[in-house]
Amino acid sequence: MHETSTDDTTDFGYERVRKEEKAGRVREVFDSVASRYDLMNDLMSGGMHRLWKRFTIELSGVRPGQTVLDIAGGTGDLAAKFSQRVGPDGHVILADINAAMLSVGRDRLIDKGALNNISVSQADAQFLPYADNSIDCITIAFGLRNVTDKALALRSMYRILKPGGRLLVLEFSKPTSPLLSQAYDAYSFSALPFMGKLITNDADSYRYLAESIRKHPDQETLLEMVEDAGFVDCRYHNMTGGIVAIHRGVKG
Amino acid sequence: MQHDPAIIAGVTLALETAINETISLSLGTREALAQKCGACIAIYCSSPEVSVYFFVNDSGTVSLQNYSEAEITVSLSGSWRDFQTVAAANDAAGALVNSNISVTGDTAALIEIQQIVSDMDIDWEAPLVASLGHVAGHQLANALRGFWRWRTDSHRRISRQVSEFIIEEGRLSPSKHEIDAFLSDVDDIVLKVDRLESRIKRLQRQLKPASEPS
Ligand SMILES: C[S@@+](CC[C@H](N)C(=O)[O-])C[C@H]1O[C@@H](n2cnc3c(N)ncnc32)[C@H](O)[C@@H]1O
Repeated sequence: MHETSTDDTTDFGYERVRKEEKAGRVREVFDSVASRYDLMNDLMSGGMHRLWKRFTIELSGVRPGQTVLDIAGGTGDLAAKFSQRVGPDGHVILADINAAMLSVGRDRLIDKGALNNISVSQADAQFLPYADNSIDCITIAFGLRNVTDKALALRSMYRILKPGGRLLVLEFSKPTSPLLSQAYDAYSFSALPFMGKLITNDADSYRYLAESIRKHPDQETLLEMVEDAGFVDCRYHNMTGGIVAIHRGVKG
Repeated sequence: MQHDPAIIAGVTLALETAINETISLSLGTREALAQKCGACIAIYCSSPEVSVYFFVNDSGTVSLQNYSEAEITVSLSGSWRDFQTVAAANDAAGALVNSNISVTGDTAALIEIQQIVSDMDIDWEAPLVASLGHVAGHQLANALRGFWRWRTDSHRRISRQVSEFIIEEGRLSPSKHEIDAFLSDVDDIVLKVDRLESRIKRLQRQLKPASEPS
C-alpha cells in the first residue's frame, strides 16, 4: 500500500477521506438507504439481526424506570424494545446523526404506538449533548464503525453514563473460523452490494457497508478501546461465529 | 461448551412464540397466569449449558430470556437429560421429586404454575367457528383437538417445529408482502435493463454508418 495517510484523513470504507468529509459521506450513505433500511437488514442478515438485538437487550439488564440511550439508533428497533422494558416511569432516547433515518424511525414508533416514553433526537455519537452521569444504559448497534473518531465517541458515552451504568456495542466483527470468514467476504462484497442495488438502487452504499465492516476493529482491539475509554468489567460475546460481537463495559 | 447466543436466542424465541400461541388458545389460562405476574422461573441446564428464564407478564403471556439479572422466584438446575425425563413423564411433579433436578426458591409458586399449565384446556373451537362458521369450524376443531393430543405426546415436536416457527411465527424473515415487493422491484429492473439494452443496440445501429465510413 502506498497511501500517504496523514493525521487528518480517515477511512471511508476502503477509501481514505479527509476527516471533515467522513460524516458527510456517511450521511449520504444512510440518506440513500433510509426508507428501505429495515427490509435490507432482514434480507441481508437472513433475519439474524433480530436475534443479535434480542440478546443485546437481555445483556443490558435494563429495568423499569431506567433511562436508556440508543445512539446511532437508526430506525428504532432497539428503542422500541427498550421502551417496553423501562415502562411508563422510564425513558428512552433514540438518537442518530441522520435526520432521514430518524424520521423513518419516528414513523415506525408511532405505528407501534411506542412513543410515550421515547424521545427522538439528532446527535453525533462523538459529542453527545446530554448531562454527565445521566444515563443508565447506552447501546450502539452497527453504528460505531461509521463514527469518525471512535475513541472520542466512547469517551463521550462514558461521560454521560451514571456510575454503574452500562455500555453495549453491537457491531460486525471478525469471524472466528477462516472458512466462515471467506464465505462471509464473498457474501458481503458481491451479494450485498448486488442486493443493495436491487432494493435501494444504490450499490455503492452497500459496498461502503461491506468495506467499513472489514475496516472495523476486531474483537480484541475494540475491547481495548472500550477499556481505554475508562470502562471496567469489559468483555465481549461472539455471535454467529464472530460475524458480530457484543462488547460490554461498565462505568466504574 | 459455549453455544452461539444467536442460535440459542432463535430457539428461545421460537419456544416463546409457541408457548404464547398455546396459552392464547387455552380458555382461562391467560387470566390464571396473570395472577402470577412478575414470577420468574429460571431453568439452568448443564450439558448443554443453557439458561432459560420464564417471566410471567401482567397480560398472562410469558417472555423467555437466556440472560437475566432480575430476581428469580424459583430455579431448577439439572442436565438436559433430567429435564427431558421430567417433561416426558405422565406425572411431572412426581417425576421432578424423584429426579436429579435441584429446585431452589419458592417451590409453592412453581407448583401453582405447573398446575395452571397442566390444566390448560386448548380451545381451538372459538376462533375457528368465528372464522369458518359452525359446521366446518366444529369439524376442524375436532380434528385439531386430536392433532394437539398427538402433538403433546410427541417429544420431538418442539425441535421439528423450531425452524418453521423461526421463519413464520417469529417473523424472523421478511413477510410475503415484503418479498413480493422486492421481487416486483427485481422484475422492474430486469425490464428496465431489457429496455436499456435494446436502446443501446438501436443507438449502436444508428451510429455505425456514421462512424464507419473510413
Ligand atoms: C447501520 S445503521 C444502524 C441502525 C440501527 N442501530 C440498527 O441496528 O438497525 C448505522 C447508523 O449510524 C448512524 N451514524 C453514523 N455516524 C454517526 C455518528 N457519528 N453519530 C451518531 N450516529 C451515527 C447512521 O446515521 C445510521 O443510522
